[in-house]
Amino acid sequence: MSDAMLQLDGLVRHFGSVPAVDNVSFSVDRGQVLGFIGPNGAGKTTTMRILATLDTPQGGDARIGGYSVVDDPEKVRRLVGFMPDYSGVYANTTVEEYLDFFARAHDLRGEARRKAVAHIIDFMSIGDLRDRQVEGLSKGLKQRVALGRAIVHDPEVLILDEPAANLDPRARIEFRTLIRELASDGKTILLSSHILTELSEMCDTVTVIEKGKILATGTVEDILEGMRKRRLLSVRVAGPIAGLERFLLEQPGVRGVHEVGERVEFELDGGDDEQVQLVSRLIAGGFPVLEFSAHSAGLEDLFIEITEGRVQ
Amino acid sequence: MTRAPSILGWLEDKSDWLSPLVVKEVRQLVRGREFMVSFGASLAAGLAVAFFGAVDALGGSSSSGNWTFASLMACLAFLGLAVVPLGAFSALRTERMEQTLELITLTSLSSRRIVVGKLLAQAVKLGTLFAAMAPFVTMSFLLGGVDFVTILIALVVLFMLSVWAGALCLLLSTAFKSRAMSFLVFGAVGVLGLFGASMGRMLFFAARGGALGPVVFGVGIGSTTTLWWVLAIVTTFWLISLINLVLLAENRMSLSTEDSVTPLRIGFLVQFLVICGYTMAYVFDPPLAKSRAAEALLVLGSGHLAIVAVFVVSEDLAVPRRVLFRIRSASPWRWLMAMFGPGGGRGAAYVLVQMVLLFGAVTLLQLTPADRRMLLAVFGYVLFFTGIPALAFRRLMPARATPLRIRAAVLVTLAVAMLVPDILYYIVQRPETLDLDFAMRHLFSPIRTIDSWDFVERANWVGIPFAIGLTGLLAYVALIRRGVQATGKAVLIDRAAPVAGETGRGGVVY
Repeated sequence: MSDAMLQLDGLVRHFGSVPAVDNVSFSVDRGQVLGFIGPNGAGKTTTMRILATLDTPQGGDARIGGYSVVDDPEKVRRLVGFMPDYSGVYANTTVEEYLDFFARAHDLRGEARRKAVAHIIDFMSIGDLRDRQVEGLSKGLKQRVALGRAIVHDPEVLILDEPAANLDPRARIEFRTLIRELASDGKTILLSSHILTELSEMCDTVTVIEKGKILATGTVEDILEGMRKRRLLSVRVAGPIAGLERFLLEQPGVRGVHEVGERVEFELDGGDDEQVQLVSRLIAGGFPVLEFSAHSAGLEDLFIEITEGRVQ
Repeated sequence: MTRAPSILGWLEDKSDWLSPLVVKEVRQLVRGREFMVSFGASLAAGLAVAFFGAVDALGGSSSSGNWTFASLMACLAFLGLAVVPLGAFSALRTERMEQTLELITLTSLSSRRIVVGKLLAQAVKLGTLFAAMAPFVTMSFLLGGVDFVTILIALVVLFMLSVWAGALCLLLSTAFKSRAMSFLVFGAVGVLGLFGASMGRMLFFAARGGALGPVVFGVGIGSTTTLWWVLAIVTTFWLISLINLVLLAENRMSLSTEDSVTPLRIGFLVQFLVICGYTMAYVFDPPLAKSRAAEALLVLGSGHLAIVAVFVVSEDLAVPRRVLFRIRSASPWRWLMAMFGPGGGRGAAYVLVQMVLLFGAVTLLQLTPADRRMLLAVFGYVLFFTGIPALAFRRLMPARATPLRIRAAVLVTLAVAMLVPDILYYIVQRPETLDLDFAMRHLFSPIRTIDSWDFVERANWVGIPFAIGLTGLLAYVALIRRGVQATGKAVLIDRAAPVAGETGRGGVVY
C-alpha cells in the first residue's frame, strides 16, 4: 500500500501561453528525500510554490498529507516547511527574534514557542549567532537560519528550493549534513538543486523536469543503471587516428564518435561482452590500441542526457 | 536588580496575546533610525513650543495655551498624517519587495491577520509618539486659552484620522506592484489627504461653534448634543470604513482560492446600513428635518451604491472551486449568503438588493414624488453604466473580460455618454452659438440629467432615463443568469479539475 506523503496529480500552471508546469504527476513517500532536477525555467520553482500554497494550479491538484493544496491550503501550511531560493531576512532583527517571530506566526505560544526556538538554535548549531543581526550574516549562515525558520514549527514535509545555491564547499557540506539529519528524523523532503552530484548523495529518488514536463523519475541507482547500458568509452591508438572514426562508426552499437585531442570518444550500447568484442575487433582491424578506458555515467551525464532535446 | 528579568519574562509571556507582527515590528522599531529620528524630533519640537509658550505666558499673555496647543497639534498632525502613514505604506511594501511577505503567508497568519498586525504596529508607533507629546499638550492646557474637552477631542480625532490614514496607506501598498505607480498614487492620496484634513478641521470647528448643525442636520443648533451626535457619526464611519480598508487590503493580498469577497460585501453592506440608519434617525422629526435627511440619504446612498456597483459587477463570473463548494454546502442561510459570495452575478444581485433597501428607506423619510422618480433615475443610470459595459465585455470578448478592463470600460462609457452627444450635435447641427443649456441630448449624461431633474420633469422627458434604467436592469438580470450558469457548470465538473477561467493569482475582485 502506498504511503505517499506528497502526491501530485496532473498539475498544470501556465503563465500566459507558456506552460510552466504541464501535467506533472509524481509522489513522494513518507520519510523519503526526492531530488527535483531540471534546467533553469524547467518548472521546478513553480511546482514547489504550488506545493507550498504560494501559487494556485490551473489544473490538477496536489495533496500533502492527504490535504489538497487548492481546497485546504491552511492545513497544508501546517504540514509544510518551505525554503525558497531567497533568504528573506529582516532588518534590525536578531537571529533569535527572527526565529521567535516565525514560531509565533505558526501559533506556537509560551513555553512551546521558547522550546521550539531553543531546539532550532541547538539543532542548527547557531547558538553563537543568537544575538547577531540576521541581515548581517554570511550567505551560508543566512541559509542555515532560513532552514531553521522553515522547520521551526516541526513540519512533516520540507520543500527546499535550491537550498545549496551560492554556498561555499564547507557550508554545502554542513547543509548536506543537516538535510541528512532531517531525513533521518522522518521528514519527507523535496529539494531542487543544480548541484547534481550533491543530490545523488542526499536523495532517495530523483525526478527530472524540463519545460514543465516530467522526463524521468526513479532512484538514482535505477536511472544510472539504465545509463550504464550505454557506456562512454575512450580509445587512443599509436600513430595517426585517421580511419579510426570510420571504423568505429561501422561497428554495431557504437555512436556519438568524436575526436578529443589524440583520443577518440564514443558511446557503446551494451555491457562487458560487447566491450571485449569491440577491443578485439579494433586490434584485428590493425589499430594499435595504447589506451582503452570506460567511465561510468554520473548524475551530470544523466541530467544532460535526459534533458537534451527530448521534449519539443 | 532581580525584578527586571522577571518583568521582562512576564511581558514575554503576555506578548503571546499580541499579534506576532506587532511584536516583530516593535522590536524592529526601537532599533530603527526612522523612529529614533521622529521620536527625538517630536520631543525637541514639543520642548521648543513649550519653552516659547511658557515665556509668552510669563510675559502676561492669557492665550499662549491656545497657540501652543495649535503648534503641538500641527507637529502631531505631521507625525500622524505623514510620518506614520508613510511608515505603514513602506512596511507592507518592504515585506513584499524583500519577499518576506510570502514567508509570512506560509505561516498560520491569514492575510487579514497580517494587515491587522501591520496596522496595530503602526498604532503602537503612533501611540508612542502621542505619548511623547502628551506632557507638552498638558502644559498648553495649564497655560490657558484652550479647554480640556477641546484638547481631548482633538487628540482623539487626530489619532483616529492617523490610524485611518495608516490603513489607507496599507491598502495602497497592496494595490500596485510597481514601485513608481505606488508612489504616484501615494502622492496623489497625500494631496487629497491634505485637502481632506483641512476640510475635517473646518467641520470640527464648525461643529464646536455650532455652525454644522443647521448645514447638515438642521436640528440641535449649536448644542452639545450636536457635537456628540457629530462625534458619534464620525466615530461610526471611522470604524466601519477602517474595517473596510482592512478588508480591501486583505482582498488584494489573498490568493484567488480564498474567499475574501464575502467579508468585504458584508462590510460594505454594513457601511450602507449605517448611512441609512443615521438618516433614518430623523424619521420622527419635523418635515423639514426629514426632508433634509432624505436628500442626504439620497446623495450618500446612491453615491455609495454607484461606487460599489462598479467594483462588484466587474468581478469574474467564475468562482474559485474551493469557494464554490463552500457556497454550495448545505446551510439554512445559503440563499441569503449567496448574495455575499464572490462573482459578478452575485455582485449584481447584491447591488439590486441594496437599491431596494435604499428606496424603502428614502420612502419612509420625506421625499417628493419628483425626488422619488429622480432616485429611480439615479438607480437606472447606475445599472446602465455598470451593467452594459460588463455584459458587453462578457458577451463579445469573454477572454478579455478582466475586472480592470471592465472598470475602465465603465469610465469610458460614462465619458462617452457625457461628451459624444454634444460633439455630434455640433457636427450635425452646426449651431452658430455655443449652447450649454440642458437639452434632450444630455439625457444620456447622468450627472447633467440629475442636476437638471426639475427641467426633465417639466419637459416630460422622464421616460428616457427610465428606459435607460430598464436597459441597465435587463443587463443586470442577464449578468445574474450568466453567473448562475457559470456556477452550475463549475459544480458539475470533477473536484480535481480546474474551474474554467480560474487564474492562479488575482483576487482583483475589488
